[in-house]
Amino acid sequence: MIKHVLLVAERDVKMFLQYKFILILRALWFLAQIALFGFVANRMVKEDVQIVTGNYFYFYAAGIVITLLYSMAVFISYDIYEEADHGVVEYLLSLPISRRELVLGRAIGGGLRSFLYVAPLMLVVLLMIGMTEPFRILIAFVALFLFAFGVSGMSITIAVSIKSHDRFDILLGVLNAFIVRLSTTMYPVVFMPKQYAVLAQFNPLTYAADIFRWGAGLEATLITNPFLSVLGIILFFSFFTFIGIIFYERRLEGGGWR
Amino acid sequence: MAIIQMIDLTKKFGKLTAVDHLNLSIEEGEIFGFLGPNGAGKTTTLLMLVTVIKPTEGKAIVGGYDITREPDKARQLIGIAFQDPKLMWVMTPWEVLNWHAKVCGLTSSERKERVRWALTELDLWGDRYKSVHAFSGGMRKRVEIAKILIQRPKIAIIDEPTTQIDIVGKHKIWNMIRELKDEGSTIILATNELYEADLLSDRVAIMHRGKLLVCDSPKKLKDSIVGGDLIEIILEKEAPKITIEELKNINRVVEVLVLKPNHLRIYLNRAEEILPQITEFFIKTHLPIRSIRMSEPSLDDVFAHYTGLTIEEAEK
Repeated sequence: MIKHVLLVAERDVKMFLQYKFILILRALWFLAQIALFGFVANRMVKEDVQIVTGNYFYFYAAGIVITLLYSMAVFISYDIYEEADHGVVEYLLSLPISRRELVLGRAIGGGLRSFLYVAPLMLVVLLMIGMTEPFRILIAFVALFLFAFGVSGMSITIAVSIKSHDRFDILLGVLNAFIVRLSTTMYPVVFMPKQYAVLAQFNPLTYAADIFRWGAGLEATLITNPFLSVLGIILFFSFFTFIGIIFYERRLEGGGWR
Repeated sequence: MAIIQMIDLTKKFGKLTAVDHLNLSIEEGEIFGFLGPNGAGKTTTLLMLVTVIKPTEGKAIVGGYDITREPDKARQLIGIAFQDPKLMWVMTPWEVLNWHAKVCGLTSSERKERVRWALTELDLWGDRYKSVHAFSGGMRKRVEIAKILIQRPKIAIIDEPTTQIDIVGKHKIWNMIRELKDEGSTIILATNELYEADLLSDRVAIMHRGKLLVCDSPKKLKDSIVGGDLIEIILEKEAPKITIEELKNINRVVEVLVLKPNHLRIYLNRAEEILPQITEFFIKTHLPIRSIRMSEPSLDDVFAHYTGLTIEEAEK
Protein backbone atom coordinates (compact mmCIF):
# COMPACT_ATOMS: atom_id res chain seq x y z
CA MET A 1 0.00 0.00 0.00
CA ILE A 2 2.64 2.53 1.11
CA LYS A 3 4.85 1.67 -1.85
CA HIS A 4 2.10 2.50 -4.32
CA VAL A 5 1.10 5.68 -2.48
CA LEU A 6 4.70 6.86 -2.57
CA LEU A 7 5.02 5.98 -6.25
CA VAL A 8 1.97 8.09 -7.06
CA ALA A 9 3.38 10.93 -4.97
CA GLU A 10 6.75 10.52 -6.70
CA ARG A 11 5.07 10.94 -10.07
CA ASP A 12 3.41 14.16 -8.97
CA VAL A 13 6.67 15.54 -7.63
CA LYS A 14 8.55 14.65 -10.82
CA MET A 15 5.85 16.13 -13.00
CA PHE A 16 5.90 19.32 -10.94
CA LEU A 17 9.64 19.66 -11.49
CA GLN A 18 9.00 19.63 -15.22
CA TYR A 19 7.03 22.87 -15.00
CA LYS A 20 10.30 24.78 -15.03
CA PHE A 21 8.79 27.93 -16.50
CA ILE A 22 6.14 28.12 -13.78
CA LEU A 23 8.61 27.33 -11.02
CA ILE A 24 11.02 30.03 -12.14
CA LEU A 25 8.23 32.59 -12.53
CA ARG A 26 6.83 31.82 -9.09
CA ALA A 27 10.28 32.23 -7.56
CA LEU A 28 10.61 35.56 -9.35
CA TRP A 29 7.17 36.55 -8.11
CA PHE A 30 8.30 35.78 -4.57
CA LEU A 31 11.48 37.77 -5.05
CA ALA A 32 9.51 40.75 -6.38
CA GLN A 33 7.06 40.56 -3.48
CA ILE A 34 9.89 40.66 -0.95
CA ALA A 35 12.40 42.93 -2.61
CA LEU A 36 9.97 45.40 -4.15
CA PHE A 37 6.59 45.34 -2.50
CA GLY A 38 7.79 44.28 0.96
CA PHE A 39 10.64 46.77 0.92
CA VAL A 40 8.45 49.70 -0.16
CA ALA A 41 5.54 48.72 2.09
CA ASN A 42 7.92 48.57 5.02
CA ARG A 43 8.84 52.23 4.39
CA MET A 44 5.21 53.21 3.97
CA VAL A 45 3.74 51.73 7.12
CA LYS A 46 3.28 53.94 10.15
CA GLU A 47 5.41 53.69 13.21
CA ASP A 48 2.67 51.94 15.19
CA VAL A 49 2.68 49.09 12.65
CA GLN A 50 6.43 48.70 13.16
CA ILE A 51 5.89 48.66 16.92
CA VAL A 52 3.15 46.00 16.69
CA THR A 53 5.02 43.80 14.26
CA GLY A 54 8.51 44.38 15.59
CA ASN A 55 9.65 44.71 12.00
CA TYR A 56 7.00 44.88 9.28
CA PHE A 57 9.40 43.73 6.55
CA TYR A 58 10.08 40.47 8.41
CA PHE A 59 6.41 40.11 9.23
CA TYR A 60 5.50 40.53 5.59
CA ALA A 61 8.26 38.19 4.33
CA ALA A 62 7.06 35.44 6.68
CA GLY A 63 3.49 35.94 5.50
CA ILE A 64 4.20 36.02 1.79
CA VAL A 65 6.16 32.77 1.86
CA ILE A 66 3.08 31.12 3.37
CA THR A 67 0.86 32.46 0.58
CA LEU A 68 3.37 30.99 -1.87
CA LEU A 69 3.16 27.60 -0.14
CA TYR A 70 -0.63 27.83 -0.33
CA SER A 71 -0.70 28.71 -4.04
CA MET A 72 1.77 25.97 -4.97
CA ALA A 73 -0.21 23.34 -3.02
CA VAL A 74 -3.37 24.36 -4.87
CA PHE A 75 -1.59 23.64 -8.17
CA ILE A 76 -2.28 19.87 -8.04
CA SER A 77 -5.81 20.55 -9.29
CA TYR A 78 -4.51 21.96 -12.54
CA ASP A 79 -2.74 18.64 -13.11
CA ILE A 80 -5.97 16.79 -12.39
CA TYR A 81 -7.81 18.87 -14.99
CA GLU A 82 -5.03 18.47 -17.50
CA GLU A 83 -4.99 14.71 -16.97
CA ALA A 84 -8.73 14.60 -17.58
CA ASP A 85 -8.24 16.61 -20.80
CA HIS A 86 -5.50 14.28 -22.04
CA GLY A 87 -7.25 11.08 -20.93
CA VAL A 88 -4.42 10.29 -18.51
CA VAL A 89 -7.01 9.60 -15.80
CA GLU A 90 -7.99 6.45 -17.71
CA TYR A 91 -4.37 5.35 -17.64
CA LEU A 92 -4.04 5.96 -13.90
CA LEU A 93 -7.27 4.06 -13.26
CA SER A 94 -6.06 1.07 -15.27
CA LEU A 95 -2.90 0.59 -13.21
CA PRO A 96 -2.52 -2.28 -10.76
CA ILE A 97 -3.03 0.00 -7.75
CA SER A 98 -6.17 0.64 -5.72
CA ARG A 99 -8.24 3.81 -6.07
CA ARG A 100 -7.46 4.71 -2.45
CA GLU A 101 -3.72 4.40 -3.02
CA LEU A 102 -4.05 6.58 -6.09
CA VAL A 103 -6.03 9.30 -4.36
CA LEU A 104 -3.93 9.33 -1.20
CA GLY A 105 -0.80 9.47 -3.33
CA ARG A 106 -2.16 12.50 -5.19
CA ALA A 107 -2.90 14.39 -1.97
CA ILE A 108 0.52 13.56 -0.54
CA GLY A 109 2.25 14.33 -3.83
CA GLY A 110 0.51 17.70 -4.09
CA GLY A 111 1.52 18.65 -0.57
CA LEU A 112 5.00 17.23 -0.77
CA ARG A 113 5.99 18.92 -3.98
CA SER A 114 4.78 22.34 -2.90
CA PHE A 115 6.58 21.97 0.42
CA LEU A 116 9.80 20.87 -1.27
CA TYR A 117 9.60 23.86 -3.59
CA VAL A 118 8.83 26.44 -0.91
CA ALA A 119 11.04 25.03 1.89
CA PRO A 120 14.27 26.58 0.50
CA LEU A 121 12.49 29.93 0.21
CA MET A 122 11.28 29.57 3.79
CA LEU A 123 14.86 28.95 4.81
CA VAL A 124 15.89 32.13 2.99
CA VAL A 125 13.29 34.07 4.96
CA LEU A 126 14.40 32.42 8.18
CA LEU A 127 18.03 33.26 7.46
CA MET A 128 16.99 36.85 6.84
CA ILE A 129 15.07 37.03 10.10
CA GLY A 130 17.62 35.00 12.06
CA MET A 131 17.25 31.35 13.02
CA THR A 132 17.34 31.47 16.78
CA GLU A 133 15.07 28.57 17.70
CA PRO A 134 15.91 25.43 15.68
CA PHE A 135 13.47 23.24 17.60
CA ARG A 136 10.62 25.67 16.96
CA ILE A 137 11.58 25.79 13.29
CA LEU A 138 11.38 22.03 13.13
CA ILE A 139 7.87 22.03 14.64
CA ALA A 140 6.82 24.81 12.28
CA PHE A 141 8.11 22.89 9.27
CA VAL A 142 6.24 19.74 10.26
CA ALA A 143 3.04 21.76 10.73
CA LEU A 144 3.51 23.53 7.40
CA PHE A 145 4.11 20.19 5.72
CA LEU A 146 0.68 19.09 6.94
CA PHE A 147 -0.77 22.45 5.94
CA ALA A 148 0.44 21.89 2.36
CA PHE A 149 -1.21 18.43 2.36
CA GLY A 150 -4.45 19.97 3.61
CA VAL A 151 -4.41 22.65 0.90
CA SER A 152 -3.81 19.98 -1.76
CA GLY A 153 -6.72 17.97 -0.38
CA MET A 154 -8.91 21.08 -0.43
CA SER A 155 -7.85 21.86 -3.98
CA ILE A 156 -8.60 18.28 -5.12
CA THR A 157 -11.99 18.43 -3.39
CA ILE A 158 -12.94 21.62 -5.23
CA ALA A 159 -11.53 20.41 -8.55
CA VAL A 160 -13.48 17.17 -8.54
CA SER A 161 -16.65 18.93 -7.42
CA ILE A 162 -16.57 21.31 -10.37
CA LYS A 163 -16.40 19.78 -13.83
CA SER A 164 -15.43 22.89 -15.76
CA HIS A 165 -11.81 23.99 -15.75
CA ASP A 166 -12.84 27.61 -16.38
CA ARG A 167 -15.28 27.67 -13.48
CA PHE A 168 -12.65 26.14 -11.26
CA ASP A 169 -10.19 28.86 -12.28
CA ILE A 170 -12.62 31.64 -11.45
CA LEU A 171 -13.80 30.07 -8.21
CA LEU A 172 -10.26 29.49 -7.06
CA GLY A 173 -9.34 33.09 -7.87
CA VAL A 174 -12.21 34.38 -5.74
CA LEU A 175 -11.54 31.87 -2.98
CA ASN A 176 -7.86 32.76 -2.89
CA ALA A 177 -8.70 36.44 -2.67
CA PHE A 178 -10.82 35.84 0.42
CA ILE A 179 -8.60 33.23 2.06
CA VAL A 180 -5.42 35.26 1.65
CA ARG A 181 -6.92 38.63 2.47
CA LEU A 182 -8.89 37.38 5.44
CA SER A 183 -5.74 36.00 7.02
CA THR A 184 -2.83 37.51 8.90
CA THR A 185 -0.34 36.73 6.15
CA MET A 186 0.05 40.38 5.13
CA TYR A 187 -1.21 42.45 8.03
CA PRO A 188 -1.50 42.02 11.79
CA VAL A 189 -4.90 41.18 13.15
CA VAL A 190 -5.00 44.30 15.37
CA PHE A 191 -5.40 46.49 12.31
CA MET A 192 -8.32 44.47 10.94
CA PRO A 193 -11.93 45.49 11.49
CA LYS A 194 -13.47 43.36 14.22
CA GLN A 195 -15.58 41.22 11.85
CA TYR A 196 -12.58 40.50 9.62
CA ALA A 197 -10.45 39.66 12.63
CA VAL A 198 -12.99 37.07 13.79
CA LEU A 199 -12.94 35.37 10.41
CA ALA A 200 -9.15 35.52 10.26
CA GLN A 201 -8.98 33.52 13.47
CA PHE A 202 -10.59 30.56 11.73
CA ASN A 203 -8.44 30.72 8.64
CA PRO A 204 -5.85 27.95 8.06
CA LEU A 205 -3.59 30.51 6.39
CA THR A 206 -3.54 32.48 9.64
CA TYR A 207 -2.53 29.33 11.52
CA ALA A 208 0.22 28.63 8.98
CA ALA A 209 1.52 32.20 9.06
CA ASP A 210 1.37 32.23 12.85
CA ILE A 211 3.28 28.99 13.28
CA PHE A 212 5.94 30.10 10.82
CA ARG A 213 6.37 33.43 12.61
CA TRP A 214 6.52 31.59 15.93
CA GLY A 215 9.23 29.37 14.50
CA ALA A 216 11.07 32.45 13.28
CA GLY A 217 10.80 34.14 16.67
CA LEU A 218 8.35 36.84 15.50
CA GLU A 219 6.03 36.41 18.43
CA ALA A 220 4.68 39.92 18.84
CA THR A 221 1.82 39.47 16.40
CA LEU A 222 0.65 35.92 17.00
CA ILE A 223 -3.09 35.77 17.43
CA THR A 224 -3.26 32.27 18.83
CA ASN A 225 -1.26 30.02 21.04
CA PRO A 226 1.19 28.27 18.63
CA PHE A 227 -0.03 24.89 19.73
CA LEU A 228 -3.56 25.88 18.86
CA SER A 229 -2.25 26.87 15.43
CA VAL A 230 -0.71 23.41 15.08
CA LEU A 231 -3.99 21.87 16.18
CA GLY A 232 -5.89 24.02 13.67
CA ILE A 233 -3.55 22.89 10.90
CA ILE A 234 -3.91 19.23 11.90
CA LEU A 235 -7.71 19.56 11.83
CA PHE A 236 -7.58 21.32 8.46
CA PHE A 237 -5.21 18.68 7.06
CA SER A 238 -7.27 15.78 8.38
CA PHE A 239 -10.56 17.18 7.17
CA PHE A 240 -9.52 18.03 3.65
CA THR A 241 -7.27 15.02 3.09
CA PHE A 242 -10.13 12.79 4.19
CA ILE A 243 -12.85 14.70 2.31
CA GLY A 244 -10.60 15.09 -0.75
CA ILE A 245 -9.98 11.36 -0.85
CA ILE A 246 -13.69 10.53 -0.55
CA PHE A 247 -14.71 13.06 -3.21
CA TYR A 248 -11.96 12.08 -5.63
CA GLU A 249 -12.59 8.37 -5.14
CA ARG A 250 -16.33 8.77 -5.71
CA ARG A 251 -15.73 10.90 -8.74
CA LEU A 252 -13.35 8.35 -10.22
CA GLU A 253 -15.61 5.41 -9.49
CA GLY A 254 -18.63 7.21 -10.88
CA GLY A 255 -16.83 8.09 -14.09
CA GLY A 256 -17.27 11.81 -13.33
CA TRP A 257 -13.85 12.53 -14.83
CA ARG A 258 -15.12 11.70 -18.32
CA MET B 1 -9.54 -22.53 -20.32
CA ALA B 2 -11.33 -19.18 -20.41
CA ILE B 3 -9.33 -16.39 -18.80
CA ILE B 4 -12.03 -13.80 -19.47
CA GLN B 5 -15.76 -14.35 -19.47
CA MET B 6 -18.28 -11.69 -20.31
CA ILE B 7 -21.86 -12.41 -19.39
CA ASP B 8 -24.51 -10.02 -20.70
CA LEU B 9 -21.97 -7.24 -20.32
CA THR B 10 -23.71 -3.95 -21.01
CA LYS B 11 -22.73 -0.30 -20.84
CA LYS B 12 -25.14 2.56 -21.35
CA PHE B 13 -24.27 6.24 -21.52
CA GLY B 14 -27.63 7.91 -21.02
CA LYS B 15 -29.86 6.69 -23.82
CA LEU B 16 -26.96 5.33 -25.84
CA THR B 17 -26.20 1.64 -25.39
CA ALA B 18 -22.49 1.44 -26.18
CA VAL B 19 -22.19 -2.28 -25.37
CA ASP B 20 -25.31 -4.40 -25.54
CA HIS B 21 -25.46 -7.70 -23.61
CA LEU B 22 -22.11 -9.00 -24.75
CA ASN B 23 -21.44 -12.69 -24.14
CA LEU B 24 -17.91 -13.82 -24.88
CA SER B 25 -15.15 -16.06 -23.57
CA ILE B 26 -11.49 -15.44 -24.21
CA GLU B 27 -9.16 -18.40 -23.89
CA GLU B 28 -5.88 -18.27 -22.02
CA GLY B 29 -2.88 -17.77 -24.28
CA GLU B 30 -4.73 -16.73 -27.42
CA ILE B 31 -4.62 -13.53 -29.41
CA PHE B 32 -8.21 -12.42 -29.51
CA GLY B 33 -9.17 -9.78 -32.05
CA PHE B 34 -11.95 -7.32 -31.41
CA LEU B 35 -13.06 -6.03 -34.76
CA GLY B 36 -15.48 -3.37 -35.76
CA PRO B 37 -15.81 0.16 -37.02
CA ASN B 38 -15.32 3.17 -34.76
CA GLY B 39 -18.23 3.36 -32.34
CA ALA B 40 -18.85 -0.40 -32.39
CA GLY B 41 -18.26 -0.63 -28.63
CA LYS B 42 -14.78 -2.19 -28.67
CA THR B 43 -13.04 0.44 -26.57
CA THR B 44 -15.92 0.65 -24.09
CA THR B 45 -15.74 -3.12 -23.62
CA LEU B 46 -12.00 -2.93 -23.02
CA LEU B 47 -12.38 -0.06 -20.54
CA MET B 48 -14.84 -2.18 -18.58
CA LEU B 49 -12.48 -5.16 -18.56
CA VAL B 50 -9.66 -3.02 -17.25
CA THR B 51 -12.08 -1.62 -14.59
CA VAL B 52 -11.77 1.98 -15.74
CA ILE B 53 -15.55 2.16 -16.17
CA LYS B 54 -18.24 0.07 -14.56
CA PRO B 55 -20.77 -2.01 -16.47
CA THR B 56 -24.39 -0.89 -16.36
CA GLU B 57 -25.57 -4.50 -16.46
CA GLY B 58 -24.08 -7.97 -16.64
CA LYS B 59 -20.65 -8.97 -15.48
CA ALA B 60 -17.18 -9.93 -16.57
CA ILE B 61 -14.77 -12.30 -14.88
CA VAL B 62 -11.10 -11.54 -15.47
CA GLY B 63 -8.71 -14.26 -14.35
CA GLY B 64 -11.30 -15.51 -11.89
CA TYR B 65 -12.10 -12.06 -10.45
CA ASP B 66 -15.38 -10.22 -10.96
CA ILE B 67 -14.47 -6.78 -12.33
CA THR B 68 -17.17 -5.09 -10.25
CA ARG B 69 -16.60 -6.88 -6.97
CA GLU B 70 -12.82 -7.34 -7.05
CA PRO B 71 -11.50 -4.71 -9.45
CA ASP B 72 -8.17 -4.32 -7.64
CA LYS B 73 -7.40 -8.02 -8.08
CA ALA B 74 -8.52 -8.01 -11.71
CA ARG B 75 -6.20 -5.08 -12.42
CA GLN B 76 -3.23 -7.03 -11.09
CA LEU B 77 -3.57 -9.36 -14.07
CA ILE B 78 -4.35 -6.93 -16.82
CA GLY B 79 -2.57 -4.15 -18.67
CA ILE B 80 -3.68 -1.89 -21.48
CA ALA B 81 -2.12 0.14 -24.26
CA PHE B 82 -4.71 2.74 -25.13
CA GLN B 83 -5.83 3.78 -28.58
CA ASP B 84 -4.87 7.40 -27.90
CA PRO B 85 -1.58 7.63 -26.02
CA LYS B 86 -2.21 8.68 -22.43
CA LEU B 87 0.82 10.80 -21.70
CA MET B 88 1.30 14.04 -19.82
CA TRP B 89 3.07 16.41 -22.20
CA VAL B 90 5.75 17.41 -19.71
CA MET B 91 7.05 13.87 -19.20
CA THR B 92 9.80 12.12 -21.17
CA PRO B 93 9.49 8.52 -22.44
CA TRP B 94 12.19 7.55 -19.97
CA GLU B 95 10.17 8.90 -17.04
CA VAL B 96 6.86 7.53 -18.32
CA LEU B 97 8.18 4.00 -18.82
CA ASN B 98 10.30 3.80 -15.70
CA TRP B 99 7.43 4.95 -13.54
CA HIS B 100 5.05 2.55 -15.28
CA ALA B 101 7.46 -0.33 -14.71
CA LYS B 102 7.80 0.56 -11.02
CA VAL B 103 4.03 0.70 -10.51
CA CYS B 104 3.68 -2.66 -12.25
CA GLY B 105 6.05 -4.15 -9.70
CA LEU B 106 9.14 -4.81 -11.82
CA THR B 107 12.41 -5.14 -9.93
CA SER B 108 15.09 -2.56 -10.54
CA SER B 109 17.13 -4.84 -12.83
CA GLU B 110 14.04 -5.99 -14.79
CA ARG B 111 12.96 -2.39 -15.18
CA LYS B 112 16.30 -1.19 -16.50
CA GLU B 113 16.59 -4.09 -18.91
CA ARG B 114 13.03 -3.92 -20.26
CA VAL B 115 12.82 -0.14 -20.57
CA ARG B 116 16.08 -0.09 -22.47
CA TRP B 117 14.95 -2.99 -24.67
CA ALA B 118 11.54 -1.45 -25.47
CA LEU B 119 12.94 2.01 -26.20
CA THR B 120 15.62 0.54 -28.44
CA GLU B 121 13.28 -1.81 -30.29
CA LEU B 122 10.76 0.95 -30.88
CA ASP B 123 13.42 3.41 -32.08
CA LEU B 124 12.90 5.77 -29.16
CA TRP B 125 16.22 5.35 -27.36
CA GLY B 126 17.72 8.49 -28.87
CA ASP B 127 14.68 10.53 -27.86
CA ARG B 128 14.23 9.10 -24.39
CA TYR B 129 14.96 12.37 -22.57
CA LYS B 130 12.80 14.56 -24.83
CA SER B 131 9.40 15.73 -23.66
CA VAL B 132 6.59 13.79 -25.37
CA HIS B 133 5.13 17.20 -26.19
CA ALA B 134 7.62 17.40 -29.06
CA PHE B 135 6.76 13.91 -30.36
CA SER B 136 4.79 13.03 -33.49
CA GLY B 137 1.60 10.98 -33.18
CA GLY B 138 3.47 7.84 -34.21
CA MET B 139 6.19 8.36 -31.61
CA ARG B 140 3.63 8.88 -28.85
CA LYS B 141 1.85 5.72 -29.96
CA ARG B 142 5.12 3.80 -29.69
CA VAL B 143 5.59 5.05 -26.11
CA GLU B 144 2.07 3.83 -25.34
CA ILE B 145 2.81 0.40 -26.83
CA ALA B 146 6.11 0.24 -24.94
CA LYS B 147 4.20 0.37 -21.64
CA ILE B 148 2.49 -2.96 -22.26
CA LEU B 149 5.62 -4.58 -23.68
CA ILE B 150 7.49 -3.64 -20.51
CA GLN B 151 4.68 -4.69 -18.20
CA ARG B 152 4.10 -8.08 -19.87
CA PRO B 153 0.84 -8.67 -18.02
CA LYS B 154 -1.02 -11.96 -17.92
CA ILE B 155 -3.72 -10.30 -20.02
CA ALA B 156 -2.56 -7.59 -22.41
CA ILE B 157 -5.13 -5.35 -24.05
CA ILE B 158 -3.90 -3.43 -27.05
CA ASP B 159 -6.29 -0.93 -28.58
CA GLU B 160 -5.48 -0.07 -32.20
CA PRO B 161 -1.80 -1.03 -31.89
CA THR B 162 -0.53 0.41 -35.14
CA THR B 163 -2.56 3.53 -35.88
CA GLN B 164 -0.24 6.35 -36.97
CA ILE B 165 2.67 3.89 -37.25
CA ASP B 166 4.58 3.49 -40.51
CA ILE B 167 4.71 0.11 -42.26
CA VAL B 168 8.16 -0.86 -40.92
CA GLY B 169 7.02 0.03 -37.42
CA LYS B 170 3.83 -1.97 -37.90
CA HIS B 171 5.75 -5.15 -38.67
CA LYS B 172 7.98 -4.57 -35.67
CA ILE B 173 4.99 -4.12 -33.37
CA TRP B 174 3.23 -7.17 -34.80
CA ASN B 175 6.32 -9.26 -34.08
CA MET B 176 6.51 -7.88 -30.57
CA ILE B 177 2.85 -8.75 -29.98
CA ARG B 178 3.56 -12.32 -31.13
CA GLU B 179 6.56 -12.47 -28.77
CA LEU B 180 4.35 -11.26 -25.94
CA LYS B 181 1.99 -14.13 -26.68
CA ASP B 182 4.88 -16.61 -26.79
CA GLU B 183 5.91 -15.46 -23.34
CA GLY B 184 2.50 -16.47 -22.02
CA SER B 185 0.30 -13.39 -22.24
CA THR B 186 -3.26 -13.58 -23.45
CA ILE B 187 -3.69 -10.73 -25.88
CA ILE B 188 -6.83 -8.80 -26.71
CA LEU B 189 -6.38 -6.78 -29.81
CA ALA B 190 -8.95 -4.15 -30.72
CA THR B 191 -8.61 -2.89 -34.22
CA ASN B 192 -10.50 -1.65 -37.22
CA GLU B 193 -7.64 -2.75 -39.45
CA LEU B 194 -8.97 -6.05 -40.69
CA TYR B 195 -5.71 -7.18 -42.19
CA GLU B 196 -4.00 -6.75 -38.83
CA ALA B 197 -6.68 -8.77 -37.04
CA ASP B 198 -6.50 -11.50 -39.68
CA LEU B 199 -2.73 -11.66 -39.47
CA LEU B 200 -2.42 -11.82 -35.68
CA SER B 201 -5.61 -13.22 -34.18
CA ASP B 202 -6.35 -16.80 -33.24
CA ARG B 203 -9.99 -15.81 -32.91
CA VAL B 204 -11.92 -12.73 -33.87
CA ALA B 205 -15.10 -11.17 -32.54
CA ILE B 206 -16.86 -8.76 -34.84
CA MET B 207 -18.86 -6.02 -33.13
CA HIS B 208 -21.30 -3.58 -34.63
CA ARG B 209 -23.42 -0.98 -32.82
CA GLY B 210 -22.55 -2.45 -29.42
CA LYS B 211 -23.54 -5.99 -30.32
CA LEU B 212 -21.51 -9.08 -31.03
CA LEU B 213 -22.18 -10.25 -34.57
CA VAL B 214 -20.00 -13.31 -34.75
CA CYS B 215 -16.95 -14.86 -33.09
CA ASP B 216 -14.62 -17.54 -34.47
CA SER B 217 -11.20 -18.06 -36.00
CA PRO B 218 -10.52 -15.85 -39.04
CA LYS B 219 -10.37 -18.97 -41.20
CA LYS B 220 -13.75 -20.27 -40.08
CA LEU B 221 -15.31 -16.85 -40.41
CA LYS B 222 -14.08 -16.54 -43.96
CA ASP B 223 -15.17 -20.08 -44.76
CA SER B 224 -18.61 -19.29 -43.40
CA ILE B 225 -19.28 -17.05 -46.39
CA VAL B 226 -20.87 -19.31 -49.00
CA GLY B 227 -18.92 -19.05 -52.22
CA GLY B 228 -16.53 -16.59 -50.64
CA ASP B 229 -13.33 -18.10 -52.08
CA LEU B 230 -12.34 -17.36 -55.62
CA ILE B 231 -10.24 -19.11 -58.26
CA GLU B 232 -9.44 -17.42 -61.55
CA ILE B 233 -8.24 -19.66 -64.36
CA ILE B 234 -6.94 -18.71 -67.79
CA LEU B 235 -6.91 -21.66 -70.17
CA GLU B 236 -4.81 -22.23 -73.25
CA LYS B 237 -8.02 -22.60 -75.28
CA GLU B 238 -11.74 -21.89 -75.01
CA ALA B 239 -13.79 -23.90 -72.52
CA PRO B 240 -16.85 -25.59 -74.05
CA LYS B 241 -20.24 -25.01 -72.43
CA ILE B 242 -20.50 -28.59 -71.32
CA THR B 243 -17.21 -28.28 -69.43
CA ILE B 244 -18.56 -25.21 -67.61
CA GLU B 245 -21.66 -27.17 -66.59
CA GLU B 246 -19.55 -30.11 -65.36
CA LEU B 247 -17.38 -27.67 -63.41
CA LYS B 248 -20.48 -26.29 -61.67
CA ASN B 249 -21.34 -29.79 -60.51
CA ILE B 250 -18.14 -30.18 -58.54
CA ASN B 251 -18.88 -30.20 -54.84
CA ARG B 252 -18.38 -26.77 -53.13
CA VAL B 253 -18.34 -24.85 -56.41
CA VAL B 254 -21.03 -22.23 -56.04
CA GLU B 255 -20.82 -20.30 -59.31
CA VAL B 256 -18.71 -20.14 -62.47
CA LEU B 257 -18.43 -16.90 -64.42
CA VAL B 258 -17.06 -16.87 -67.96
CA LEU B 259 -15.16 -13.61 -68.23
CA LYS B 260 -13.72 -14.52 -71.62
CA PRO B 261 -14.11 -17.83 -73.48
CA ASN B 262 -10.79 -18.99 -71.95
CA HIS B 263 -10.98 -16.98 -68.72
CA LEU B 264 -13.11 -18.39 -65.89
CA ARG B 265 -13.87 -17.12 -62.42
CA ILE B 266 -15.02 -19.81 -59.97
CA TYR B 267 -16.76 -18.92 -56.69
CA LEU B 268 -16.49 -21.70 -54.15
CA ASN B 269 -15.88 -22.68 -50.53
CA ARG B 270 -12.55 -23.82 -49.07
CA ALA B 271 -10.69 -23.30 -52.30
CA GLU B 272 -7.40 -24.63 -50.95
CA GLU B 273 -8.97 -28.07 -50.40
CA ILE B 274 -10.62 -28.31 -53.77
CA LEU B 275 -7.91 -26.80 -55.95
CA PRO B 276 -6.23 -30.15 -56.79
CA GLN B 277 -9.59 -31.55 -57.90
CA ILE B 278 -10.18 -28.56 -60.19
CA THR B 279 -6.74 -28.75 -61.83
CA GLU B 280 -7.22 -32.48 -62.32
CA PHE B 281 -10.62 -31.78 -63.91
CA PHE B 282 -9.04 -29.51 -66.55
CA ILE B 283 -6.26 -32.01 -67.24
CA LYS B 284 -8.85 -34.76 -67.78
CA THR B 285 -10.88 -32.56 -70.12
CA HIS B 286 -7.73 -31.75 -72.14
CA LEU B 287 -7.88 -28.05 -71.37
CA PRO B 288 -4.34 -26.97 -70.38
CA ILE B 289 -4.16 -24.21 -67.78
CA ARG B 290 -2.10 -21.12 -68.67
CA SER B 291 -2.44 -19.44 -65.25
CA ILE B 292 -4.32 -19.96 -62.05
CA ARG B 293 -4.89 -17.54 -59.15
CA MET B 294 -6.61 -18.28 -55.89
CA SER B 295 -7.87 -15.74 -53.36
CA GLU B 296 -9.92 -16.11 -50.24
CA PRO B 297 -12.33 -13.60 -48.71
CA SER B 298 -10.92 -11.09 -46.27
CA LEU B 299 -12.42 -10.15 -42.92
CA ASP B 300 -13.74 -7.10 -44.79
CA ASP B 301 -15.94 -9.53 -46.70
CA VAL B 302 -16.95 -11.24 -43.47
CA PHE B 303 -17.95 -7.90 -41.95
CA ALA B 304 -19.86 -6.98 -45.09
CA HIS B 305 -21.52 -10.40 -45.10
CA TYR B 306 -22.86 -9.97 -41.56
CA THR B 307 -23.77 -6.28 -41.67
CA GLY B 308 -24.42 -5.59 -45.32
CA LEU B 309 -21.96 -2.70 -44.94
CA THR B 310 -18.27 -2.13 -45.47
CA ILE B 311 -16.28 -0.93 -42.44
CA GLU B 312 -16.12 2.56 -43.99
CA GLU B 313 -19.88 2.65 -44.51
CA ALA B 314 -20.49 1.38 -40.98
CA GLU B 315 -18.31 4.16 -39.55
CA LYS B 316 -20.46 6.76 -41.27
